[in-house]
Amino acid sequence: MDTGKYDTVIVGAGVAGLGAAVYTGRFQMKTAVVGETPGGTIILTNDVANYPGFSQITGLDLAEKLQAHVNNYNVETVEKVVTRVERCPEGCFKVFTGNEYLHTQSIIFATGTEWKKLKVPGEKEFTNKGVHYCALCDGALYKDKIIGVVGGSDSATKEALLLVEYGKKVYIIYRKEKIRPEPINLNRVMGHKRIEIINNTNVTGIKGNTFVTSVTFNEPYEGSTEFQLDAVFIEIGHIPLSGLAKEIGVEVNEKGEIKIDRDAKTNIEGVFAAGDVTDTVFKQAITGVAEGATAAYSAYHYVNEHELICCHSDEE
Amino acid sequence: MANVKVYSTPTCPFCKKAKEFLKQNNFTFEDLNVAESEQARSEMIKKSGQVAVPVLDIDGEIIVGFDREKIKKALKI
Repeated sequence: MDTGKYDTVIVGAGVAGLGAAVYTGRFQMKTAVVGETPGGTIILTNDVANYPGFSQITGLDLAEKLQAHVNNYNVETVEKVVTRVERCPEGCFKVFTGNEYLHTQSIIFATGTEWKKLKVPGEKEFTNKGVHYCALCDGALYKDKIIGVVGGSDSATKEALLLVEYGKKVYIIYRKEKIRPEPINLNRVMGHKRIEIINNTNVTGIKGNTFVTSVTFNEPYEGSTEFQLDAVFIEIGHIPLSGLAKEIGVEVNEKGEIKIDRDAKTNIEGVFAAGDVTDTVFKQAITGVAEGATAAYSAYHYVNEHELICCHSDEE
Repeated sequence: MANVKVYSTPTCPFCKKAKEFLKQNNFTFEDLNVAESEQARSEMIKKSGQVAVPVLDIDGEIIVGFDREKIKKALKI
C-alpha cells in the first residue's frame, strides 16, 4: 500500500539520520525518517564527552535533543523497520515497511551498524544469561560480581569504566598487545584498582550452567585457560547494516560499508548515505551528524535538479 | 485494563523507551527496579529465564526487550 510521496526518505533514525532530517526539514523537503529505534546506537552510550558543545551528555539525552530539533520541522518520523527498498525504472524508490511503502525521489541511508559477535561456543546459549552487549542496559544487574569486557577500543574501555561502578572487579580482555582507547580513558583505566587488563588473549568459549560461570582463553592466564567470572560484555566492534542499500545496487567496500564521496553521494543517482554505515574512517556521533547534513544538502540539490515521474502505485 | 509490570534498571535506555511507550498509550504499570531490589531481580529471572532488561509482564505474557510490536499485541492496541 502506497503511504505517500516524498522528496526524501531517510532510512535510519540514529544521530546521522536525525542530523539529515534537521536539514531536509529546513530545506522544506517532504521528508520521512524511518527507523525502529529513534536515536540509534548512541543511546547505549552513557558518557558522551566528545560531541562539541556538550562537555558531558548521555547518549539518550543527545538523541532526544536531536529528535526535538527535528520535530521543529515538518518531518514525519516513522517508528518501523524498513524491510526492503526497490528502485523504479523512472529513477524513484519505494521504501517498504512490511506491506506498506513510501514513494520517494531520493534516499539517505543512515542505517548504522549492529554489534559484532565473538562467534565462540556458548555465546549464543548464554546471551542475556551472562553474555551481554549493552553495559548501560544490563551492567547494574551485576553488582559486586566479576565482569569481563571483551575488546580493546575506546567503546570497550568506556564500558569497563561504567561496569566497574557496579562490579567487584572488571577484566578487559583484548586479543592484541595494547588497548587503544582515547588517552583520557586510558588514564582512567590504568589508574583504577578494580580494572585489570588481560592482553594478547582471545576468548575461545563461554561456559556455565543456567548462567555464565567462566570463559576459556587461547593462552593460560595465571596458569589456567579457564577464567571464572559472572558476566562477559562483548564490545569488539560493529558490522555495517548495508543490506538494504546493496539490494538496489549501492556499492560497498570489503567491510560492507557504503562507499560515499565528499558529498555523501553513493554510486546510485538519488541515493546518499551518512554515519556509521559508510566507509568514513573516523566514526563519531559528530561526524555522522555532519555527514547527515551533507547528505541532506546533496539530496536537496538532486531533487531540485531532477524532475522525476515516479513509478505508479498498484492502485493507480 | 491490562496489568503491566516493567522490570528495569535506572540507566537502561530501552527501559526508558518502554515506559514512555506505555505512558503515551495511557497504560499504568508497576515499575520494578531490579538493580535495587533483589526480590524484583529474582522475580524477573524466574519469569523470563534470563538477565537482561527491560522485561515486561503484561497480564502474564513475558516480553524481553523493547519489542514494540509484541508489546502492542499484548496490550491489544
